[in-house]
Amino acid sequence: MSESLSANNDNHLRVIEALYSGHHGWLYATLKKKLGNAMDAADLAQDTFTRILASQVTAIEQPRAYLSCVAKGILVNWYQRKALERAYLDALAHLPAPEVPSPELRFVVLETLHEIDAMLDTLPPLVKRAFLLSQIGGLKYQDIAEQLDVSLITVKRYMKQAFVQCLMLVE
Amino acid sequence: MLTRRAEPPLDPSILEEAADWLMRLSEHDLTDTERAEWECWKVSSPERSRAWSRAQLLQSKFGGLPPALAMSTLDRPSNPERRAALGKLALLLAAVPTGWGTWKLAQSQQWSADYHTAVGQRRELTLADGSRITLNTDSAIDVLFDTRQRLINLRAGEILVQTAPDSSAQPRPFLVSTREGRMQALGTRFTVRELEPRTQLAVLEGAVQVELADGRQTAPIIVNAGQRTDFSAQAFGQLNPTDSNVGAWTRGMLMADKMRLADFVSELARYRRGFVRCDPAIADLRISGAFPISDTQRSLNMLVQTYPVLVTGHLSGYWVTLSAA
Repeated sequence: MSESLSANNDNHLRVIEALYSGHHGWLYATLKKKLGNAMDAADLAQDTFTRILASQVTAIEQPRAYLSCVAKGILVNWYQRKALERAYLDALAHLPAPEVPSPELRFVVLETLHEIDAMLDTLPPLVKRAFLLSQIGGLKYQDIAEQLDVSLITVKRYMKQAFVQCLMLVE
Repeated sequence: MLTRRAEPPLDPSILEEAADWLMRLSEHDLTDTERAEWECWKVSSPERSRAWSRAQLLQSKFGGLPPALAMSTLDRPSNPERRAALGKLALLLAAVPTGWGTWKLAQSQQWSADYHTAVGQRRELTLADGSRITLNTDSAIDVLFDTRQRLINLRAGEILVQTAPDSSAQPRPFLVSTREGRMQALGTRFTVRELEPRTQLAVLEGAVQVELADGRQTAPIIVNAGQRTDFSAQAFGQLNPTDSNVGAWTRGMLMADKMRLADFVSELARYRRGFVRCDPAIADLRISGAFPISDTQRSLNMLVQTYPVLVTGHLSGYWVTLSAA
C-alpha cells in the first residue's frame, strides 16, 4: 500500500517536472500577453505550477490545454481579487474624511475583506446580501425582510445558511 | 485561498447549533436564562468548544470592519461564471487523468478575450475588424473571432455594437449571443442587454436577425432600425418602436419620458453601488428629464428639486430610500 503510494508520488513529481521544463516558458508568455504585465504573469505561472504540484495528478495527456485550464481558474480568482481591490479603493475614495481608516488599518481591513469575500463567495446573492446587511449594516432581521422583500422566516433561513458556511470555512 | 486545516472537520449539526446561537446573539440581548443555557452549551463538549471558538473568530472578523467601507466593497454582484470556473478548477486538480481528454473536448478550449466594466463604469473597445463595442455599467463580454465568425458573447449587462464590414476574403458573420438567443448583425448599430431570463434588443441602424436559443419551433425574426424587442430562450416579445432612452447611456445620460419612478430608480441603481429603494406609495409617479448616470447623487438631487420626493441615505449613501416629500 505505502509502496504504491510512494510510486504514485514519484510518478506525480516526474509528470510535474516534465510539465514545468516543457511548458513553463509558454505559459508565462501566454499570461504575459493576456495581462500585459510581466510581474503578474510570473506570479500566476508560478501559482499554477504550485497548485498542480499540490494536487494528485499522475498523467496529463494534453499538457498545454491542461495548463491553460488550470491557469484560467487561477486567473479568474486573481481577477476577483483585483475587482475587490478596485471596489475597496473606490469605496475609500467616496468615504467622508472622518470615516477613512489610517493607512495601516486600511491594509488590515482589505485582507479581512478578502477572507470574508472568499467565505461568502459561493452563497446565492440574496443570502449573501441578507447576511451582509445583518453583520455589517447592523440591520434587524425584520428590516432585512422588508428591504429584500422576503418573509422573516426566509431571512432567518438565509442567516443560518450563511453562518454555517462561514463557520465551516473560517480560519 | 482556502486551505485544508489539520484538525478534523466539525459535525454539521454542531455548526448549526453554533449558528443558532450566533443568530440569537445578533438579534437581541440574551435573557439571564438564555445566557446560562449558552454558557452551558459552549462547554458541553470539546466539539462545541471548538465550534464556538470559530464563531468568536468570525465575530472578530466582522466586528472590526468600518460598515460603509465593508458594505460597498463586499456587496458586489457575485459572478456565476467565476463560481463555475472555480468548480472546474477543483475538478481538474482532483483529476482522474483519463477523464481529462474527454472532459477537455466537451469544453470550448479557446482562451477568450474577456472585457468587463465595474458598476458605474463605461468602456469603449475597437475590435480587430474595426467594429466598435461600448460596454455599459457592470457588463461582461467574451470576444471570439476565428476564420468562420466574429462572435461576441454577452455574459452580463449591456452593450452597444457598431459593426464594421469584414475585410477578410470570405466575409464572416458578426454575431452576438446571450443565454436566450443569437443575433446576427446585418450591417448595423444596435444595443443588447442581458436581463436573465430575457434579452432586450434595440436596433438603431440597419437590421438584426434573431434566433432563439431554444427555438426549434420558432423561425428567426428580423428586427429593423427604430424597433426594439425582448425575448426569452423560447419566445419573442412584442416589437415596439425605440424610445429616446435607447443608447442614451453611451452619452452618459438616462433619458426619462414620463417614466414610472420605480422604473427610473431601478435604471439609476444600475450605475450605483448599493441599494436604492422606492416607497411603493410613489412608485407610479411619472417623471421626465435627462439625468447624468456618471453622477447618480446629482441625479437624485435633481429629482428632489423637481418632484415631491424625499431622499434619505444611510451607511454613507450606500443605502438610499425614496419616499413622498
